[in-house]
Amino acid sequence: MDTLLDIRNLSLEFRTPRGRVKALREISFPIRKGRTIGIVGESGSGKSTILWAILGLLASNAKVTSGEIMFEDRNLLALSESGLQAVRGEEISVVFQDPMTSQIPVLTYARQMFDILYRRPGMSAAEKRRHAVEMMQKVGIADPESRIDQYPHHFSGGMRQRAGIAMALLTGPKLLLADEPTTALDVTLEAQIIHLLQELKSELDTTVVVVSHNLGLIAELCDEVVVMYAGEVVEVGEVRQIFHDPRHPYTRALLECDPARIEKASRRLPVILGDIPDLAKPQTGCIYATRCQRAMPICRTDAPPVVGLTVSRFAKCHLLAGPHHDPQWPPPPDVLTVPMGESVAAPRTVGRAQGELLNVTNLNVQFQIMGPVSAWMRGITRRHVDAVLDVSLSVRPGETVGLVGESGSGKTTLGRTILNLVPAQNGSVTFENREIRNMAERHFKPLRRDMAMMFQDPVGSLSPRKSVRALIVEPILIHGIDCPDLDAEAERLADLVRLPRPLLARYPHELSGGQARRVGVARALALNPKLIIADEPTAGLDVSVQGEILNLMADLQAEHGLGYLIITHNLPVVRHISDRLAIMYLGRIVEHGPADEIFRNPAHPYTKALVEGVPNPDPDRRRTHVSISGEVPSLLRRPQGCDFVTRCPYAQDRCRIEKPPHSRITPDHDHACFFPLR
Amino acid sequence: MSVNRSDLNSTLPAGTAGGEPLHVTVADVRESASQERRDKLRSFLTNWQGVTGLALVLLFFASAIFAPWLAPYDPNALDIPARMSGPSWDHIAGTDQLGRDTFSRILYGGRVALKIAGIGVSVALVIGLVLGMIAGYGPRWLDNLLLLLFDTVRSFPTIVLALATVALTGPSLELVLIIVIVTSIPGYARVARTATMSLINTDFILAERSLGASTTRILAHHVMPNVAGPLLILAAMDVPVVVTVEAGLSFLGLGVLPPTASWGTILNEGYLVIRDTPWMVVAGGIPLILTTLGFTFLGEALRDVFDPRMRKGG
Repeated sequence: MDTLLDIRNLSLEFRTPRGRVKALREISFPIRKGRTIGIVGESGSGKSTILWAILGLLASNAKVTSGEIMFEDRNLLALSESGLQAVRGEEISVVFQDPMTSQIPVLTYARQMFDILYRRPGMSAAEKRRHAVEMMQKVGIADPESRIDQYPHHFSGGMRQRAGIAMALLTGPKLLLADEPTTALDVTLEAQIIHLLQELKSELDTTVVVVSHNLGLIAELCDEVVVMYAGEVVEVGEVRQIFHDPRHPYTRALLECDPARIEKASRRLPVILGDIPDLAKPQTGCIYATRCQRAMPICRTDAPPVVGLTVSRFAKCHLLAGPHHDPQWPPPPDVLTVPMGESVAAPRTVGRAQGELLNVTNLNVQFQIMGPVSAWMRGITRRHVDAVLDVSLSVRPGETVGLVGESGSGKTTLGRTILNLVPAQNGSVTFENREIRNMAERHFKPLRRDMAMMFQDPVGSLSPRKSVRALIVEPILIHGIDCPDLDAEAERLADLVRLPRPLLARYPHELSGGQARRVGVARALALNPKLIIADEPTAGLDVSVQGEILNLMADLQAEHGLGYLIITHNLPVVRHISDRLAIMYLGRIVEHGPADEIFRNPAHPYTKALVEGVPNPDPDRRRTHVSISGEVPSLLRRPQGCDFVTRCPYAQDRCRIEKPPHSRITPDHDHACFFPLR
Repeated sequence: MSVNRSDLNSTLPAGTAGGEPLHVTVADVRESASQERRDKLRSFLTNWQGVTGLALVLLFFASAIFAPWLAPYDPNALDIPARMSGPSWDHIAGTDQLGRDTFSRILYGGRVALKIAGIGVSVALVIGLVLGMIAGYGPRWLDNLLLLLFDTVRSFPTIVLALATVALTGPSLELVLIIVIVTSIPGYARVARTATMSLINTDFILAERSLGASTTRILAHHVMPNVAGPLLILAAMDVPVVVTVEAGLSFLGLGVLPPTASWGTILNEGYLVIRDTPWMVVAGGIPLILTTLGFTFLGEALRDVFDPRMRKGG
């Protein structure tokens, strides 16, 4: 098979004041024509840097120290700027991660797409437009003839990414690069985009490179996989070889850490201990040795051999060949090669039947959208939207409740309302049987010692000008708690969340996502709360690290009997740590019950869609259909009947007129659907 | 705190966490904090802008404070025969139309500039910062009220405001100071307000609220450090503006009265005689330029050093 792009021995460094960061070291792999290659790795692995190197769009402090990138017969690294410009867009094009920021907000799609075709003087404007409309049609945009004259802000997130794909394919490129194409999207949209890419792949004769940290996406979409770690390629192979017979310990560990692959619901997740090495320092031996469970003395000193049959199937590891060859490696798939965290969860100290810690009943939160005058002028009687609608929920001590929903479902608003950060219109919130809804801050403040919140963005939720030490002891200062030795207290909390003590002197921007998350946990724990509301506790964390954070939270729960309300869109993750799940859609809870039961046997079609929406990290179990279409409607356009009716594959006439009430299947499992799936 | 030490030990992992050893003492942390301060100082001292700025600002302060000792002549001593002379060994910056030594007048003029710029800018900065943060963080009606106030003040031309006030009080240095403060506050307040508004919906402010931090604490500890940076730059660049406002008012007879020397009066008098001698304008302009540069460099260097996000590398 022809090689379209051949990366040979590519090394690249970034010049920073800390020294030269060797971001890529001797990368070699071919990209064959007509194939889809997945580059998978965690943050800092250099996977995106490869894309920018191919396009010649590296940051100004980057320097290629060796190697070549052969595109057909040209070396892209040796091309002049004008030569590169001729290749970019025309022969190689890109789908970006975030369609919000990669499209021009002040130009219509028609105009943006004309501009992409600027090198086609032979094409008339009408031809260009027809071509653009065809492409929009191809990516599944309904009514492209009129929508093409709209601006990006008229499009919803999923539509925008579709338009992004259309723009990338407009010139008929030979090579399509996709940089985390679904990371900014919700699960149900992710499934749709994956499906679209699969269709386009078979329809158009394009070679695709997908860069992602999402193993499920790679498994569903790719023919070949390149596994990267800390700037090196550690393993390359066909997708089935990588997922069914991984040879490198890192590939193996990465697969084991993916919560979507873990069938058994346990409270602990496997983790890869340690951090990615500092690439500004010289590296000897195997790059993965510091985190590898099978590391031998030789791994720290000698570079591992490249073991494999061809350029497109190899792994770099001492275990596979040479004097340290271990014929037992790799072990059978059911053997776990990575630890499940440091300690085993102790039996719960607090019984579950002690009554409710938090109880939310029929809570409503509304947001004003316009003032009385403009509403009167436009003749609108409803001046608000319902962000949270009749929500009832409870958390008992020592229990974990997962609140799952896509963006716009109101789950974060609900969390903030419970903590009295957002006012509620009506309903009730009780904490230890005290009504706390809309309580004056002066009365609420003492309660904040018992209820803590972890925010979504681990770094962004830390005050940027404060040292970690100051941040950790902040709650103690706020509540004026008598603490004779704040330094000792800061260290105690750092130890509690397993945060290395030298980091106490650092600032938030100097921390990795996992470290910043630990600081967030330490702050939440500083006052020894009874309830923690965690908003996306694993957002922005790598697979290998998210297990560590969740195990830590489970340990702390087991010891202190904390109640958790975990707000997330990531169903496979919460499934393992939750006792109960509540599924939220457009501000309402549509299904609520024991986690296992909901996951195995969902009653509401939306729950089913969420469960199926997660791509399966197994190339043999690719989905052939998309379970739900469309996107979450705007709160301004709440459907008349069931909220889910616009997307529900089982919708019937009754659903369009009446709102389904909550009905019980078992005493602790209820749903809001007229035609439940069970 | 009911989490006791034995709890702690049971959660402590054996060996290492995050790849770094846990055997670190308080002393190590303090050591690294003082290392941090040394790093800040070093990064400031290796920044040419910072060093130049600091040197110029120190020169400004020193020359103003020690003017009586440094000045070779009395700033008001007349030497009619040597009037409007160029630079010479006797008068290194020349003399003015009354034969007064320009160099001495510059040194004494620096005292006026220091008083007006130093006091005026810093008072305006503090009031503007506080009002701006309140407007940005407080309820909508308060924001609107303060904005109305700022716009009202800004809509007055400085000179008209000065004329009106002089009619009531008569011209004086204090009056110039008050006018400078009142007219500068809206500028700082608006910048502080916008910066505050961009912060109030960030996760970290919400996180502080969820911990129970009071509004005062949030503003003083978490908002102010993040909005003060741009204000300091603004203040540094405002110093020369204030000096020129003083000059303008003095020129109109609304500020510093003759024979008191100020850079503004030197420039204005020099402007009147520029056909006869350029030296007064040159001599009056140079300190203004150096002071402007000095404060600007200093402001930018301070921002680079004290904003941890601007520091490069880890």
